[in-house]
Amino acid sequence: MDCIKKKVNEELSKGWIGPNRCCDYHPSHFEGQDCTFCYCPFYPCEDEDLGNFITGKRGNTIWNCTDCLFIHRTPVVKFVLSEVERLGITEAGDPRFPGILIEAKRRFFREGRALMVVGATSDAGKSVTVAAICRILQRRGYLVAPFKSQNMSLNSKVTMGGSEIAMIQTLQAKAAGLKNPDCHMNPILLKPKKDTVSQVMVCGKPYADYDVESYYGEFVPGPGREIVRENVEFLKKRYDFVIMEGAGSPAEINIYDRDIANMGAAVIADADVILVVNVEWGGSFAYALGTVELIPEEDRRRIKGIIFNNVRGDTSRFREGIPAFEEVCGIPVIGVVPHADVILPSEDSEALRGLRSRGEGKCLVGVIKFPRIANFTDLDPLFLEDVSVVFVEKASDLEGVDAVVLPGTKNTVNDMRWMEETGIADAVRKLRGRVPIAGICGGYQMMGAKLDDSLGLEGGVPGTVLDGLGFFGNTTVFGKYEKRIVNSTGEMLVGGGGTVTGYELHMGMSEVTEEPLFRIENRFDKGPQEEGSVREGEMLFGTYLHGVFDRKPFRRYFLSFVKHGGEAVELCDSKDYDDVVEENIGKLADVFEENMDIPALLGILGVSE
Amino acid sequence: MRILVLGTSSGAGKTTFCAMLCRRFSGQGLDPVPFKASNLSLNSYAAQDGGEIGMGQAFQAWSAGLEPETDMNPVLLKPSGPGVIQLVVNGKPFMDVTPDHPMDRDAVMAKVHEAYDRLESSHGMVICEGSGSPAELNLMDRDLANVGLMRELGIPAILVGDIERGGVFAAIYGTWRLLPDDVRPQLKGFVINRFRGDGSILRSGIERIEELTGMKCLGVLPYMDLRFPEEDSLSHSSGRLEGADARSAFMSNIDEMVEAAETAGLDFDSILEMSKG
Repeated sequence: MDCIKKKVNEELSKGWIGPNRCCDYHPSHFEGQDCTFCYCPFYPCEDEDLGNFITGKRGNTIWNCTDCLFIHRTPVVKFVLSEVERLGITEAGDPRFPGILIEAKRRFFREGRALMVVGATSDAGKSVTVAAICRILQRRGYLVAPFKSQNMSLNSKVTMGGSEIAMIQTLQAKAAGLKNPDCHMNPILLKPKKDTVSQVMVCGKPYADYDVESYYGEFVPGPGREIVRENVEFLKKRYDFVIMEGAGSPAEINIYDRDIANMGAAVIADADVILVVNVEWGGSFAYALGTVELIPEEDRRRIKGIIFNNVRGDTSRFREGIPAFEEVCGIPVIGVVPHADVILPSEDSEALRGLRSRGEGKCLVGVIKFPRIANFTDLDPLFLEDVSVVFVEKASDLEGVDAVVLPGTKNTVNDMRWMEETGIADAVRKLRGRVPIAGICGGYQMMGAKLDDSLGLEGGVPGTVLDGLGFFGNTTVFGKYEKRIVNSTGEMLVGGGGTVTGYELHMGMSEVTEEPLFRIENRFDKGPQEEGSVREGEMLFGTYLHGVFDRKPFRRYFLSFVKHGGEAVELCDSKDYDDVVEENIGKLADVFEENMDIPALLGILGVSE
Repeated sequence: MRILVLGTSSGAGKTTFCAMLCRRFSGQGLDPVPFKASNLSLNSYAAQDGGEIGMGQAFQAWSAGLEPETDMNPVLLKPSGPGVIQLVVNGKPFMDVTPDHPMDRDAVMAKVHEAYDRLESSHGMVICEGSGSPAELNLMDRDLANVGLMRELGIPAILVGDIERGGVFAAIYGTWRLLPDDVRPQLKGFVINRFRGDGSILRSGIERIEELTGMKCLGVLPYMDLRFPEEDSLSHSSGRLEGADARSAFMSNIDEMVEAAETAGLDFDSILEMSKG
């Protein structure tokens, strides 16, 4: 406490500083934050709107306000400073501070408004629309949070707090200018595990496995609704706007009463709704009208605008149909958005369905397309280089590849068995030493000698012990229904060093007998840890770190082993993937700004320019 | 007998569905012939009579045990450059349609009608395929193959909806709602295509749509991962095949598809009844 008091005293003597862009940690919360009170003069305020008590490492009770953004809003800061001056306060801990907080809250604390984006179909463009709206509002100085009550995706990321949430919400949080996406933004994550069974993650931690029937029969009416309510309320207290994303179509009338992902969530959050329709496949007016009219009237009233998305070519031909549509439908069209050519990570496996190859580069990377492929956004940065990818579904697909990547999987044991059955495993073994081979997470586990699932936790069949590819001596044991979820930063121990960042998300732990690839640090392990396995002479590389190709050094190092027709891969002046994504979020928001009725959007949100 | 198969979007499965009807009804000795008033496609087939028609009609002809001929697809629109579409009428290039040179819609419709009449007079049943979605409000007045054909011929129609991307009830209901009042009564039934899982979960939704529209649900077809070279450029068909290969590959699949449709309970008899109207 004394330390905090000292810092607050310094802050009080310095006065208003606004955003401190020179600080290494800036922005620690959000783009444009006010840094005057890096340490809060009200700590510990014990106001449940702003924080909560948690149990510390030693079992003690601590006031936690890491998610509070109130003191980083400039109007609040200026009011506090003016009160400090008016009352002649000179010291932290002055008993008049709580009174200032009460008055500041009365003046500036407002519950945020929620707006939900639903789509007429999967792949309608909901998630990019949410990202674009987040950025459009962030550009106007608002504090915005994305939210998706329930997401089914095998592409996830790890938050600073060590929670697992869908990748797309972290992207939307980035669009909102937020530094630390948190588990409230995607409180329910479904990770398909077997045909009809999913692992349900709640607030970023494994909760239980459910099949479709028990999910809708037990989870949704039981804990589900309350989880959605608590988390969206949490965000509404901290942000000006919560931009929610639906899932699939909101007009699945056969399961309407069991929904907590679309209109069900909008009701819980008291949100207005925007409907997005993808024009690309045709029939978009019918999809839009049908969606609106099949939603029961009491919920239909929430729908305030419609966006037609992904129009190819000139939008004017399409616009000709809008007056007639608006007349029938009675809801205004607030955007006709052309196809935006942006590089952003793909949301879910829908995007991979039927895809045999991707990219136009010279170097051909064979990516094993496991039936339960997960976190395949790991591959996206490869396309910044002279690389194209072929998705390997049978052994012959590996012919002519210059490198192999074994990506992540939701089920290492079953997918290893699939590799053996399809003959892909033997084909990959034959490539050992001839082309570079990298394994990430589940793919890395497979590169080892053994996969020990004696308890049947991964594959569901007790007594299962499989041989891996045998590239490394490592053994992976699936010993507990427990998941390692952690964000790390580190150094390469090969190729002359370089920074690497990534996140681990896995069931099963490996006993490693190989030379390590990285030395990593994170907030959960004590001190630096060795990570990964490498046999450079045989061009074999394995790591648990998802996102390992995001930064240039390892991507370059791996590709340096690639020879295409005897020639090395040409390395263009590529960037870190993060910067590319940031640039493309800006481009995406520009396209939406140009083609949306922004005053209408702001009107729905109850504000104006 | 005649029926028009419409789709809720491109790639909803109209082409395959028509081919199945051709196969099934030709097996019953009803002598069906495929017809698509107008096709927007680059994937064309040279018919025996020397004309050029859409690939889809060639497959459907084979399914019906016929050789493809030009009348089965009297109008073919081939995008040939930015803003330029080559108009093929009765199998021969007719003109380049550009923003400055629009096509004479009524004259072309007359050609469509003539081709249709020739087929109808020489076959027992015409299985017509629509094009894209019939509910494109910005295109409806220029349309040939959907609302255009419904008006021109008074033909009964059924609607195929693709459930794969979700929103199928909305798509079916919305399409029905947006059809002009004068042709809406011609829409008699609907099919849900590409469903994965246990169909009983859909029942309450299907009943609601039947109740709202008066259309009859003719069946729920399972997702079939078959290598059928789809005609429009939007479909991500992984096995694009050409010529003779395409024919043999397709023919070995179509019987499987008909069988799967029968197993799934597709109501061929009601379709037949409707096609008598």
